[in-house]
Amino acid sequence: MRFLNNMTLGQYVPVESLVHHLDPRCKIVGVLFCLVGVFMVKGPLGFLMWGLLFLLLVSASRVPARLVLSTVRPVWILVAFTAVIHLFFTRGEPLFSWGIVEITREGAVMAARMGLRLVLLVMYAGLLTLTTSPTELADGLESLFSPFRRFGFPAHELAMMMTIALRFIPTLLNETERIMKAQIARGAELERGGPLRRLRAFIPVLVPLFVIVFQRADDLATAMEARNYTGGEGRSRMHPLKWSVRDTTALLFSVIFSFAAVFLDGRALLP
Amino acid sequence: MSIDVKGLVHVYHPGTPLETKALDGVSFKAEKGSWVAVVGHTGSGKSTLAQHLNGLLLPTEGSVSVDGIEVRQGEGSLRKVRQKVGLVFQYPEQQLFEETVFKEVSFGPRNWGIPADTLKDRVEEALGLVGIGSDLYEANPFRLSGGQKRRVAIASVLSSGPDYLVLDEPTAGLDSPGRRQLLDLLSNLKALGRGIIHITHDMELALGLADMILVLDEGRSSLWGRPDIILGELIERDVRGLVIPDMVRFAGRLRDLGFEVPLTWEPPVLAEAIYRSQGR
Ligand SMILES: Nc1ncnc2c1ncn2[C@@H]1O[C@H](COP(=O)(O)OP(=O)(O)OP(=O)(O)O)[C@@H](O)[C@H]1O
Ligand SMILES: [Mg+2]
Repeated sequence: MRFLNNMTLGQYVPVESLVHHLDPRCKIVGVLFCLVGVFMVKGPLGFLMWGLLFLLLVSASRVPARLVLSTVRPVWILVAFTAVIHLFFTRGEPLFSWGIVEITREGAVMAARMGLRLVLLVMYAGLLTLTTSPTELADGLESLFSPFRRFGFPAHELAMMMTIALRFIPTLLNETERIMKAQIARGAELERGGPLRRLRAFIPVLVPLFVIVFQRADDLATAMEARNYTGGEGRSRMHPLKWSVRDTTALLFSVIFSFAAVFLDGRALLP
Repeated sequence: MSIDVKGLVHVYHPGTPLETKALDGVSFKAEKGSWVAVVGHTGSGKSTLAQHLNGLLLPTEGSVSVDGIEVRQGEGSLRKVRQKVGLVFQYPEQQLFEETVFKEVSFGPRNWGIPADTLKDRVEEALGLVGIGSDLYEANPFRLSGGQKRRVAIASVLSSGPDYLVLDEPTAGLDSPGRRQLLDLLSNLKALGRGIIHITHDMELALGLADMILVLDEGRSSLWGRPDIILGELIERDVRGLVIPDMVRFAGRLRDLGFEVPLTWEPPVLAEAIYRSQGR
């Protein structure tokens, strides 16, 4: 019986590295540029450039390669599906055909392009969450969105919600496991039968879980109020974000690299 | 008829950075119709041990068997064992989910496929044992008081008719009448021939009620024996996280001062001994 034991959420890998020490805002914006850049390249040169940069970043981040690869695991079905769709359903010059199945040159190219693109997108985004703690990520987002506060955008509240949600995921997994065990001890069979039966079997887990969640939320609200939490206004930080020369350099580099990759890739594809 | 635990080792998350050896070679035997208390400091592995007794966790090494059925994956062995061994988790009232007390208590028997004609008797018997009257059968479990919820939760385990009952800190958070009632219930169940495995950190309770005591220390069974033997050991040497009951310390001091009294944890026994040693 595995329960939820093997679930690792919040995949932050706390090691010391150049990438880890960058300001979260720099990493968020930098990654956005990279994602757009990855999305805009079409040919082998572009993908090669993005692939090499990624290898460089991974080695600089000192995150084990196994963990970096594991970021793709949740989406590999999507990647495979997209690639297969493009492989079989793109019209063009036939490479070979087999009954009604026909594979075209254009199809093979599109499949490779879409597959690579998705994998790179996920891995770049994954590298961000591997090297940035959830708190830093929330702080970074809050700071980036704070200019929009003037238009009524709740930057602080959203960041606080994100932090709290991330903080409580492990706790809730523990509670879920405990309740599942308690119901299994009373003879519940959570893993048998079709989807409908399984769903029904989960009611004895879900109801107590909801009760606990609401209780926790209530307790947390009380605890925050007791500590005088009144929202984002005038709130100071324990670890204020510090933008340094390193961050400017890194951000400039990612912007320039993105433009260069897209430009060189486009030129290489010209006839 | 007994639960036999031999050389039980349990490792959480083996092969990962989170690897923890929670149990390290635990052996003991819980007979039907007897009361075994499991005591130990926080994190000594009591709850982990409890979950092995009905197969919610499986041994990394060693074995657990219930009335001769080995607890292991497959062949329906787990379900058989779970029906024989009822497990009451800490704060069991958190697992309530049904709309009425009656439905809640019939959840277990229905899962075990107990026929409808005996179901009603089972449920009423279980609720009767914990002292919940028929006026509450249709009540919403979430509206009951804390103590009542606890009793309904325990009834919902009893209604499956387990031969053994494992309870993880069942008295935590109850007031003293509630505690008394619960302990009386466990004594009754023992008299009815069920085996009780009572996890607690209250040494006084363990000494006063158990037939056998298992002391866990860092996942190892550091002591296993009758209460008087365990008490002797406790006085001889320090066991982490366990305190000698006040009454025993009191008796010990009286002995030092020359009174002929037994080392006992029961106030009336001590009182009588003092009275007699005065020669009146
Ligand atoms: N699900 C789990 N995953 C990983 N480690 C665990 C898990 N449950 C318990 N442990 C570890 O196993 C050890 C024993 O825990 P256990 O809960 O069995 O102790 P306990 O004696 O019941 O403690 P307490 O008196 O606090 O309830 C502890 O070190 C604990 O951190
Ligand atoms: Mg415990």
